[in-house]
Amino acid sequence: MLNDLIIGMAGSGGDGIVSAGESLMGASAREGYYAILTKSFGSQIRGGESSCRLRVATTPVLNPGGALTAAVALNWEDFLRFGGELPVDSNTIVIYEQKTGVAPDAIPLRVKPAVVRCVPIEELAKKNAGTLQAKNNVVLGLLAGWFGLGRQAILEGIRRKFGKKGAEVLAGNERAYAAGLAYADEHPLPDGQQLAPAAPGGGKRRVTDGNELCAEAALFSGCRFFGGYPITPATEIMQHLQRDIWKHGGALLQAEDEIAGIAAAVGASFAGAKAMTATSGPGLSLKAEVLGLASITELPLVCVNVQRGGPSTGLPTKTEQADLFAAAFSSHGDSVRPILAPISVEDIFGITVEAFNIAEQYQTPVIVLSDQEIAQRKDVIDPVDTSGFKLVDRLKPTKEDLQNYTRFKFTDSGISPLSHPGMKGGSYLAAGIEHNERGDPTSNGEMHEKMNDKRLRKFTPLKQRRDLFRIEGDPAATIGVIAWGGVAGVALEAVRLAVAQGLPVKLLIPKLLYPVAEEIYQEFFQSLEHCVVIEQSQQGQLHRIIRMWTNVPARFTSFAKSGANPFSPAEVVARLTAIASSLSLSTR
Amino acid sequence: MISPSECGCPPPAPAFTPKDFRSELKPIWCPGCGDYGVVTALYRALVAIGRPPHEIAFISGIGCSSRIPGYTTAYGFNTVHGRALPVAQGIKMANPDLLVLVAGGDGDGFSIGGGHVPHAIRRNLDLTYIVMDNHIYGLTKGQLSPTTPRGSVTASSTHGSMEDPVNPLLYTLAYGAGFVAQGVPADMEGLTRIIEEAIRYPGFSFVNVQSPCVTFGDPEDQLKVQKTKLKKLAEMGHDSSDRLRAMDLAQEYSRSLYTGVFYRNPNPPPTYDSQIRARQKTLQPHPPEGGE
Repeated sequence: MLNDLIIGMAGSGGDGIVSAGESLMGASAREGYYAILTKSFGSQIRGGESSCRLRVATTPVLNPGGALTAAVALNWEDFLRFGGELPVDSNTIVIYEQKTGVAPDAIPLRVKPAVVRCVPIEELAKKNAGTLQAKNNVVLGLLAGWFGLGRQAILEGIRRKFGKKGAEVLAGNERAYAAGLAYADEHPLPDGQQLAPAAPGGGKRRVTDGNELCAEAALFSGCRFFGGYPITPATEIMQHLQRDIWKHGGALLQAEDEIAGIAAAVGASFAGAKAMTATSGPGLSLKAEVLGLASITELPLVCVNVQRGGPSTGLPTKTEQADLFAAAFSSHGDSVRPILAPISVEDIFGITVEAFNIAEQYQTPVIVLSDQEIAQRKDVIDPVDTSGFKLVDRLKPTKEDLQNYTRFKFTDSGISPLSHPGMKGGSYLAAGIEHNERGDPTSNGEMHEKMNDKRLRKFTPLKQRRDLFRIEGDPAATIGVIAWGGVAGVALEAVRLAVAQGLPVKLLIPKLLYPVAEEIYQEFFQSLEHCVVIEQSQQGQLHRIIRMWTNVPARFTSFAKSGANPFSPAEVVARLTAIASSLSLSTR
Repeated sequence: MISPSECGCPPPAPAFTPKDFRSELKPIWCPGCGDYGVVTALYRALVAIGRPPHEIAFISGIGCSSRIPGYTTAYGFNTVHGRALPVAQGIKMANPDLLVLVAGGDGDGFSIGGGHVPHAIRRNLDLTYIVMDNHIYGLTKGQLSPTTPRGSVTASSTHGSMEDPVNPLLYTLAYGAGFVAQGVPADMEGLTRIIEEAIRYPGFSFVNVQSPCVTFGDPEDQLKVQKTKLKKLAEMGHDSSDRLRAMDLAQEYSRSLYTGVFYRNPNPPPTYDSQIRARQKTLQPHPPEGGE
């Protein structure tokens, strides 16, 4: 029996491979499994190659996983285009379309898989449903039969999907599904490939993605204004918000460009509303100047940046972690904008709430670094328990403050009461130009020094927020791993595997990436002989940022690769094993 | 909106005086700058409107004229270059009760921020946009602006400008603005009335002020010359509900100095902010009717 199953499928645009993945995902959720579904496409609008990978497990899933348990290729050209996104190893069961004409011993893979099954998928679809469009239902039948995925739940899914399209269409698709099941039953796999039953009580779980959950969290946090512009892979945040924000007395602007989107959000914040914008790399570049404006005027703002491959247009549909530099150093001058990163779909809810709270508390723009994978993959998650969240509002002036209102008053914390238009006695000038405590423009060097100090001093307590860091493993371990964002889920699984193998490994996951919390890193480094930072950017951007602010261990290495090249838990374990043996060699 | 003079009753004593809208900050403008006249006309117009300063949000971009919010007692926001209109729209959307004013120069509005003008117009939030058009970049000391006439010699065109200026009046009209006017500081009474009318117009209103730059501007643009050149549209018998005639007259921008209201839409369409209110009301969960 399997407790964890990873299926990867690829085909051409019209093959319905992604839709098959979604059906499997929905069926798995209804049966009480946890699951992650990632989709990957070429950058064509329609057609072109498409793929998905589904990881189904009896326990919560931390990442999309490494090598596939089962690989489905409707044609080899499309399958091979996804390279490392659909990794096959010697344990994989490969299922492919007979019509490709490739003999089972001649499939174009570098490794020899455990089992190869050449199936007349197209023929079965045509014979049973009379249309090639039913190919994906044949595939669903094969997978349900061979791996014991919810036969009944999949069938119900097919009925929901095709029920409206007439009895004949529905019957054809049902027959195609049944044909796949029958084929699997007639050609059984070697034993042990069936997924273990799910634990009972999973029925309340839901299927969602990072963009949807981010939008929900924003409304929960009290977001009452959104300004943005469509951009892949962030657009769905705006789409979800525009449906509901009005119900809460809020408003949303699809602006004429990225700059207008953030500028309107800054305006709304000035007017007293909790405000947000969302974008991806190219948009973040455009918003940079206005982020600086929000910093100097000390206005709360949440800016979500869903990372995709860059620079420039880059890889709009693929994930990467290479916007950390752009986020940290996004605007000119001496300014700090806190950066938060969720590690999973589920985690983006709390991170978004935290982003609004930090923005309001410190009167600052906050950047949430999501990524394409978290934003657009589907996860089966338990319902979000919101009872533990506290919402923070900006510090408002008291009646006494309004007697002689001083907007940028010097205080110990650096935080000054913030009024908004409509508040009698609270009028002031917010300005991108340097100002004195009252808000009057100045170009005096001493005042500039004091104001910079005020604006940076605000973040001192933030750097002590240990709850924004997750630490796993033995505190005395000599090998440290640091990982952030979506890759943290891979690192978590890898570190657990490594510890189970007896390696002296611990893990630090920073959810607050910037400002750099020096003390927390320094404490983590104390026991370490070697620390490795794992991230999906060519330069290893977090590795370099940590170096800028902390005294790193003598061996401080980077395990980094460009976006669209996923990490697997197995390769991280292999890296840790190699580090461990190099350490024991050097101490010998 | 009916003004007190139209209803025939004696005008009530104004609740405010110009002083109530003037801040203690001393303007950085050069002596003789047209912008002094604009801010004075604005104080007077705000007296006529009668809203208290704390209910006014005054947004600007970057440039000499964009310093203007600081010289008022309203809530001011001196933003970044070219982005006053989107910031102002965010403010108005977040709180439609506010009186929102936007100001800036010709470079701020028609060059770096030019992309926002058509969208502010088509969206039609109820705000008033005052451009102090001096045909030059004054703050950076005298370079070409988007409204500098062809052939002009400036700090960035010592051999003469090789491009045509934009026509702010014609293109705001063409984009569909419901209120388009032009004023000059040389006619304070006229300018005050134009600004007041613009604020009263329910929707996006645009006021182009020919506000001369005393330091880098053309001697032919200065206040003294304006007084001899200006032609009041009202005295010419212009019908401000005639959009096509307004566009004909607007074509004379930079040749004839027309002042007054070029166009006021006699049937103002619903504003964006009123539609926001309506949508919020429709979609907000209603309390259950009746009781137990």
